[in-house]
Amino acid sequence: MEINKETYININKYPLLAGLIVYVIGAVILPASYPEKAALQPGIIFVLGAGLFNLLNQKYFVGRLKLAAHIWLIPLIVGCFSYSIPIQQGDYDYNMPLWLINTIISGIPFLLLFFGKAKQSPSKKARLKIVSARIIVQCLTFMIYAAVSAGALIHLNHKIDLIYWAIFHITTTAIFPFLFGRVLCGWICPNSTLQDGLIKNLNFRRPISSLPKAIEEQTNSCSMNISGEVDKTAPMLPATLLLCWFPMFFCETVFDLVPKLWYPVGFMYGLFVLSFILPWRKVCAHFCWLSSYRALGGHGSLWRIRFNKSKCQECKKCLPEEVCPFFINIREQDNEMPASCCLCFSCMEACPFDGVITFRRGEEEKARLKAA
Amino acid sequence: MENNYTTPLARTARILEIFIPGYMFGKSYGISNEHTVDLFRAQFPAFLINGSEAIKGLVATDSIYMQRFLATTAGAFVGFVVILVIAAILHMVLRDRKYIDSLRFAAITLIPLAVLNGTLSHAVQTLVESLGGGATVEALTKSAVESPRGTAGLLIFFYLTTLWMFGRRTGVPKKRRWVVLGVGVGFVAIYMAAGLMITPGEWAELLPKLQQTLVH
Repeated sequence: MEINKETYININKYPLLAGLIVYVIGAVILPASYPEKAALQPGIIFVLGAGLFNLLNQKYFVGRLKLAAHIWLIPLIVGCFSYSIPIQQGDYDYNMPLWLINTIISGIPFLLLFFGKAKQSPSKKARLKIVSARIIVQCLTFMIYAAVSAGALIHLNHKIDLIYWAIFHITTTAIFPFLFGRVLCGWICPNSTLQDGLIKNLNFRRPISSLPKAIEEQTNSCSMNISGEVDKTAPMLPATLLLCWFPMFFCETVFDLVPKLWYPVGFMYGLFVLSFILPWRKVCAHFCWLSSYRALGGHGSLWRIRFNKSKCQECKKCLPEEVCPFFINIREQDNEMPASCCLCFSCMEACPFDGVITFRRGEEEKARLKAA
Repeated sequence: MENNYTTPLARTARILEIFIPGYMFGKSYGISNEHTVDLFRAQFPAFLINGSEAIKGLVATDSIYMQRFLATTAGAFVGFVVILVIAAILHMVLRDRKYIDSLRFAAITLIPLAVLNGTLSHAVQTLVESLGGGATVEALTKSAVESPRGTAGLLIFFYLTTLWMFGRRTGVPKKRRWVVLGVGVGFVAIYMAAGLMITPGEWAELLPKLQQTLVH
């Protein structure tokens, strides 16, 4: 069987979708309706990880099918080792059907990729190590999130969930923004991983296929989304994002939601649902309040991506709508990326020239900025 | 670029930038009930809690959610008054913008302290639960008096960093930025001196009272 890019995406995306459905039934629907029957095979968490990993690495793996096939071996092996220890409340025996589901979901893509013939040859351009690192971190954090949510919902254990969200909030609010800016949205958030890996590759017509121009323009002109000194009158955050922020805090207090187990999990599932309704990453750019105050702290973060205007060849390979999750037109920025940059390095990967988009400010750029 | 900031959405954003941090900052002052009001008076400056209690007393309702709504609104009102005062001082320091922009500056930079207020009010709720759960006096003292200090230190540091960063971002000259930072330090000093966080003395007085209330 000859496998092109589209077939490769389908081979990975349908098992991932199947894994997601099994996960949602086992970890969300059953605990809510029949808690005594809720169970999940740990291998399913690895199915999600493997599917996302292969989809996020599609440019690299589409010419290296055997390598991609081996990724699907991980959930197969984990499924065998965890045969007798499914995540469940009672001591009933669901091991065989759960194991079978896991084996079928991960076995089919393994066989297809292993015996398939790549239609295109492997790309010669060396992969940026930082992009590979980002994909590994994205998949691992997604799997940790999935495991913690499943454990908390099936065992009704609020403590593990609280610890996870406490670590999540402390690191992403108080530490990361000052060092790396909005790194949460590029590296850590489970919703953004799902959007980059799966939802971007789903070809259905979104119920809201485009946002009103006024929203796009306002978001792009607020100071969070532009670099350099800003006008004093410029709003720091877009109005849509602020509007989403308020009901969150308001409901949280009035209905005393913080101690509720379903609240943080339900919030994340709400974001997942929204991501299926809107085009890729629009929910992050315009509506997700989680990212908003992380981005506020990101002004003047220590490590940020630099655009060396004096070296740019105007090839336009870094167009915002195609490359950047936050739709930043890098060529309009004055050397440094705005606070909304999530350090995904997609622009750096898309640029075919050396030294145009870098992590450190180039010598020519220092001279140019000094002269200006 | 300035024309962009007069669009309906941009105008809304400029207003929301005042009210949302204001609500976040002040809501903690209002969420106490008859069991926790003394703890809140010890945790926050007492006059702020008294202010929101007075506003809460103006409207009575039986619905628990309506009560919480009114309580957070009363707290937010008090918090908003605090922000108006800080903004007035910052406006005199900044000198280069309209009062509304100084107010936005004051409100947005207060977000770390709003987080601190939220953390401290959450600590009160946890404390009451621990008291009911029969925790030891040492453990209670630790969570009431000692633990919040680290969080407070970190968030106050972030508040001052935010003031500096936002000053730089909106083109405040370096010399004047030091004065802006001075206003921030002054506010934190007054806030702490007025009674932010439970002191060991206050806790020694409060603990027997709270234990007695929960027994009865």
